[in-house]
Amino acid sequence: MHLRILRRALHTASTVNPAEIAHFSRLSSQWWDDTGEFSFLHQMNPVRMRFIREKLLESARDDRPAFSESESARVFKGLDFLDVGCGGGLLSESLARLGANTLGVDASQANISIAKLHAAQDPGLALGSSLSYLHTPAEALLTDPKRYDVVCSMEVLEHVDNPAAFLDTCAQLVKPGGHLFLSTISRTALAYFLTIFMAENVLGRVARGTHTHSKFIQPAELVGFFRAYPNEEAPWIDAGRDPPTRTQAEVRGLVYNALSTRWMLAPRGAWGVTECNYIFWVRKPVL
Amino acid sequence: MAFTLSLNTSSKICRGVASQLHRSLKRSISTSTPEEWDVVVVGGGPAGLALASALGSSQLVRESLRVALVEAGDLSKIRDWIPAPETFSNRASSLTHTSQTFLKDIGAWAHVDEERTCPIQDMQVWDGVSDARIEFPMSLLGLHSPGQGMARMTENLNLQRGLLRHLSDVPQVQILDKTKVQLIGHAEAGGWPLVHLDSGRVLRSRLLVGADGFNSPVRSFANIASFGWAYNTQAIVATMFHPPQGAFKGPNTTAYQRFLPTGPIAFLPLSPTASSLVWSTQPPLATALMASEPDVLRHMINAAFRLPDISMRYLHGLLLGAHAAGTTLTPSQIQAEIAWRELSHGIDETSAYASASIEAAKQQGIPPQNAELLPPLVTSLQPGSVASFPLRYSHTDSYLGEGEGSRTVLVGDAAHSVHPLAGQGLNLGLADVECLSRCIQNSLLHGGDVGSRTTLLPYAQERYFANHRTMSVMDKLHKLYSTSFEPVVWARSVGLEVVNELDSVKAALMMEASGKSGLDGGSAWALAARGVENFATAANAARMVGAGLPSLLGASVRGLLKAAGSSSVERKQ
Repeated sequence: MHLRILRRALHTASTVNPAEIAHFSRLSSQWWDDTGEFSFLHQMNPVRMRFIREKLLESARDDRPAFSESESARVFKGLDFLDVGCGGGLLSESLARLGANTLGVDASQANISIAKLHAAQDPGLALGSSLSYLHTPAEALLTDPKRYDVVCSMEVLEHVDNPAAFLDTCAQLVKPGGHLFLSTISRTALAYFLTIFMAENVLGRVARGTHTHSKFIQPAELVGFFRAYPNEEAPWIDAGRDPPTRTQAEVRGLVYNALSTRWMLAPRGAWGVTECNYIFWVRKPVL
Repeated sequence: MAFTLSLNTSSKICRGVASQLHRSLKRSISTSTPEEWDVVVVGGGPAGLALASALGSSQLVRESLRVALVEAGDLSKIRDWIPAPETFSNRASSLTHTSQTFLKDIGAWAHVDEERTCPIQDMQVWDGVSDARIEFPMSLLGLHSPGQGMARMTENLNLQRGLLRHLSDVPQVQILDKTKVQLIGHAEAGGWPLVHLDSGRVLRSRLLVGADGFNSPVRSFANIASFGWAYNTQAIVATMFHPPQGAFKGPNTTAYQRFLPTGPIAFLPLSPTASSLVWSTQPPLATALMASEPDVLRHMINAAFRLPDISMRYLHGLLLGAHAAGTTLTPSQIQAEIAWRELSHGIDETSAYASASIEAAKQQGIPPQNAELLPPLVTSLQPGSVASFPLRYSHTDSYLGEGEGSRTVLVGDAAHSVHPLAGQGLNLGLADVECLSRCIQNSLLHGGDVGSRTTLLPYAQERYFANHRTMSVMDKLHKLYSTSFEPVVWARSVGLEVVNELDSVKAALMMEASGKSGLDGGSAWALAARGVENFATAANAARMVGAGLPSLLGASVRGLLKAAGSSSVERKQ
């Protein structure tokens, strides 16, 4: 009962940070310039998609022993995806291309306009039917009964005001048995050095003020959150299992190779690779 | 409807014509609505057809992409190509294992007439001035199936026909032949490329692939600069006939290449009694050879593999003199000259090095000593098969278009032209195609936009440096061997002989020539590149010595001695 009150209290306030939204609105025109400001994200996108695909395939194989490999190309087909903080639609477009019913939401009107404009140029995307965009904070979606097979929020968590409330919102939007994917940056000295000192200050590859070190979240904090979520009795991640079992949650490092200018998905359990960028997956229990 | 048309013409006249064209096109364009395509390949040569085949062979691509190939020529002529019996096309390439594996994987090799191809199981490469030789016996490679050889000589037409036959099973890939690309433009700045065809159709393409050869219109549309130089070298190609090698010499599966100071001459097997000629030589000499009777050329080919360099130079002089005087030498004249040169070199008419008379070649029996070091004597050239073309080295600055030219990618000769020293040109093109089709499929798997830079960047990264490395080695080899300057000849001969003694280096070179490198494909080339680099350094050193700098050497020797002396002093202390 306590929790319900807490939850209601959380809903009233949006986790959107106005300064952050202003920052990304200023940069919105550059979303699709894959050599500019967002080139890092463009290059990261296939790697994030690969992880999502791998986890969906893995779960499908676990759920249905009769899963045939010929279905693997269609693993996204027909699933309801929600992309929270979709920005210019980098991830949403990829999801829609694979046949997912995709809704991208963003708190910045400028981002949503760019995303719509870009998708409209591509005849391969059915903007308005299987791909749609909405200018709204994620919290507002809770009033609608619709829930999603998969909720993704990529490189957003480090920009929101109240991460716990934001995670709670995302978690509620997932259907039972559905998936939540988050990618973000860990709060470490290395992450400060790479993402703020090098990328913003020294190399100028990312606009200054994009990241704030104190807002970064460590993987252990995310895992910890879901060990106690929604309550201690029936958490999404069982207590006492470290790392969590692969059917409940997984943390994988995303490592940037500056020489090949490519991101790679670090192998499972590799040492030290989640010290900077990482991607997190957790599955909502069926009941 | 407003159109921004991008034109890259250098002369004012061209621009005038183009703007007229532009205006007339604008009129015709305004009526035709662009068709939506995902991949438009411009160019129906081996690279373009291979890309279309590779894409068509993937179920994922067939289900998710609309692919079109535009070619100005009539491809049905190639699809229905039926060569006259016992004749071969003069354009043949040695397809490496890597290329063959790729073609097998996409299902195109099954449509290539393997009867018309010939494995290369041995290579004989030697210096025209010093006769230093490198041999590449098969035993070094340890291939599981010796019949396969290290590479396979395949007529380009045979490959193209195979690819077209393969494509006729893939209706999803549309081939628009006998169709010229009139202009490539944009619907709006930074928008998707619009390909205007002379049929009036306009193709709006997510990805535009330039497989349109050396003078690539796609490359000029994307405004990609290209650097390079003409080699001042002309290649003569022909199909040569000769008697079978006979019981003592084994089948005709050896490739021979002799590096003459005027350029390399190569003898590549096509069948037991036919082989392909690629003779790179200086343009005036090529002109004189092309103007001569085929029988004179035949005599010159036989001599070019056998006579010492000094006699070749004498014969070249004769040909050039006759050509300058507006006459040509008769076959009997050249034959008499060769017989005389042989006599002066002490080459007996029964020797393997004798070529004035081809009677010996027709006799079956125990071949003369060293016969296995030389190609069979050519008895005739296939009528109409003699042709020549200039050689160039060029490499574009980038394989991807940027800004206005975005969503454009180059493959094959549109991206690079290479000296055909080791027959690598087509293989490089096929490697491009394999990589690009892999990147496209990978992108599809992850919901990517196949025209985006994110999709194409790995292709450019993987292929640009791989191609550049191969091209540099070919270029350096060409330069190294185009001199008869004695110290350089000495250095490269020593280099060649040293390499011949080092089985591991040779194996690496062979692996690369056959494209059968191990896990790390790069290492073999790196090794070969380093080897060539060393030759070049040695050649430079030799040139310095030859240019009269013994004092410098003396000084450095003295320095070395001094250093050795002082270090021994230090050790004592």
